[in-house]
Amino acid sequence: MTGLANVQFWAFVGVVAGIFTIFSLGLQVQFGFAGLLNFGHVAFMAIGAYTMAILVVKTGLSLWIASLIAIAVSMGFGLLLGLPTLRLRADYLAITTIAFGEIVRYLALNEQELTGGPQGTINLEGAGAAARYNDEWLDFQRTVQGWLEVLLGDNATRDVTMLVIVWTVALVAIVLLQILVRSPWGRVLRSIREDEDAASALGKNVFSYRLQALALGAALGAVAGLFFAFQFSFFSPNDFEPLTTFFAYVIVILGGTAKNWGVPLGALIFGFIFAGTRFLDVWPLNTFDSAERAYLRLIIVGLILIGLMAFRPQGILGKREELVVE
Amino acid sequence: MSERDVILEVEDVHKSFGGLAAVAGATFDVERSSITALIGPNGAGKTTLFHVVSGFYKPDHGAVRLDGERIDGSPTHRIVRRGLVRTFQLTKALTRMSVLDNMLVAAPAQPGERMWRVFATPGAVKRREEEVHERALELLSLVGLERLADDYAAVLSGGQRKLLEFARALMTEPSLVMLDEPMAGVNPSLGVELLEHMRELQRERGTTFLLIEHDIDVVMTVSERVVVMSSGAVIADGPPDDVRRNEAVIDAYLGSPHAHEEVHEIAGESSS
Repeated sequence: MTGLANVQFWAFVGVVAGIFTIFSLGLQVQFGFAGLLNFGHVAFMAIGAYTMAILVVKTGLSLWIASLIAIAVSMGFGLLLGLPTLRLRADYLAITTIAFGEIVRYLALNEQELTGGPQGTINLEGAGAAARYNDEWLDFQRTVQGWLEVLLGDNATRDVTMLVIVWTVALVAIVLLQILVRSPWGRVLRSIREDEDAASALGKNVFSYRLQALALGAALGAVAGLFFAFQFSFFSPNDFEPLTTFFAYVIVILGGTAKNWGVPLGALIFGFIFAGTRFLDVWPLNTFDSAERAYLRLIIVGLILIGLMAFRPQGILGKREELVVE
Repeated sequence: MSERDVILEVEDVHKSFGGLAAVAGATFDVERSSITALIGPNGAGKTTLFHVVSGFYKPDHGAVRLDGERIDGSPTHRIVRRGLVRTFQLTKALTRMSVLDNMLVAAPAQPGERMWRVFATPGAVKRREEEVHERALELLSLVGLERLADDYAAVLSGGQRKLLEFARALMTEPSLVMLDEPMAGVNPSLGVELLEHMRELQRERGTTFLLIEHDIDVVMTVSERVVVMSSGAVIADGPPDDVRRNEAVIDAYLGSPHAHEEVHEIAGESSS
């Protein structure tokens, strides 16, 4: 059980939770505030990560510029997805978005020339070349690590540094979203979620607001994709399975739909369960080997969600009144 | 024809759903700063016509003009911004928002409804918010809902929701308000106050009202003109007293003599 006290291990868990916080905030904008059932959110993460990696490896562009372009491209895809689908009813929108997510993943899998195919980004320059895209990021991270060493000494490792960077970005995103949600802009979005006909009868351009929510969510999804790529130095289409989108739904619902501060809370609980199952090596669970035990976390996540729906359907920070009213 | 100041013109509007012609050649106009009632039996096409005028439906044929300009086929939100607002027969209170937020969201010209202005010009956003906040409370007290301003709209009764919708429509600073059965479920004494307030707005701001209403007493006392629809068409149009005596209107409400004959024929055949 030494792992439980290991700072490095928990820093890693924190990084993953931070990346999922940013990712889920994107879903929060779309689902929580605009009421859009986007089941293909993982596609924006994939588009962000791939666009950046491809631009850096194949065009030699600076990582920072490539990252900005990646966010813009992801937002563009958000608009592209929204133009034909946002006029659809909620259930049709859900089906279309799940297809969108899968189309993006299959493209990444099959367009080997562009994406490296099933082997992932290591194959971006063809087999055997071992393409790298994040040298500039590692330089930046070492610089930040240098600053942190002044404060934290030997504890300022690579993972701790990443933890600080990711959570700084996540907190800034939460604060900005909080301002937006409380603004007249957020109020219009809520009115559309409540009743789009009422909103348009009050002079609101429903379609435009939904597009904005989709694009803003796509941008946050792309930022999460960038951090994912930076953290792991390598990724492949397998990292963007539809399951990832549903993890984000678990996080949003766990924290409380439409509650911004619920997202980091949900992500931390989720990260804890996800990483924590490795410590469940007590009887009778230790009769399973560790690979089998990995599936336990899915079961636990599912059970928690069922329990939450039964006893606290509004999530941890949600308001019950908002659920029961008609 | 004398110079009439017309705000809304509906010209030969048709709207069908499959084989059903809900509105079939409706033509009438509404004078500026008037209170006009639109009446007719159930299924006459009144609400469908409201949907067409407010931009929820595009007419199959015909034209709708607001201040002389075509608005048919325009999206609803643009029509609202040009000064035409409507309420719904089945109220659309935003139940998971507070009563006050229901009012505030309706206010026009709030720069903070653009994402970038929220961050770029927070001062202007705040100023506008304070302005509309005052107006919202004023209108809420007018319909007797000021005590409930901070509650979820979900706690309101059916009649209170009608009142909220009325007040919320006025928040958009309209020149023409179309009300779909504004009195349904509203307590009569409050209903009288509502009518008085409509008259006041008409006098002081020149606001025009077009209302669908089934309560004939309300129609006869409040409106200066009555438009009668039946089977999708306008069958009569004039001052309340003329319309009340119109043969076609009486037939439409009571069923035509011809229809009575048919009923008798069918009954006779089946009994023989």
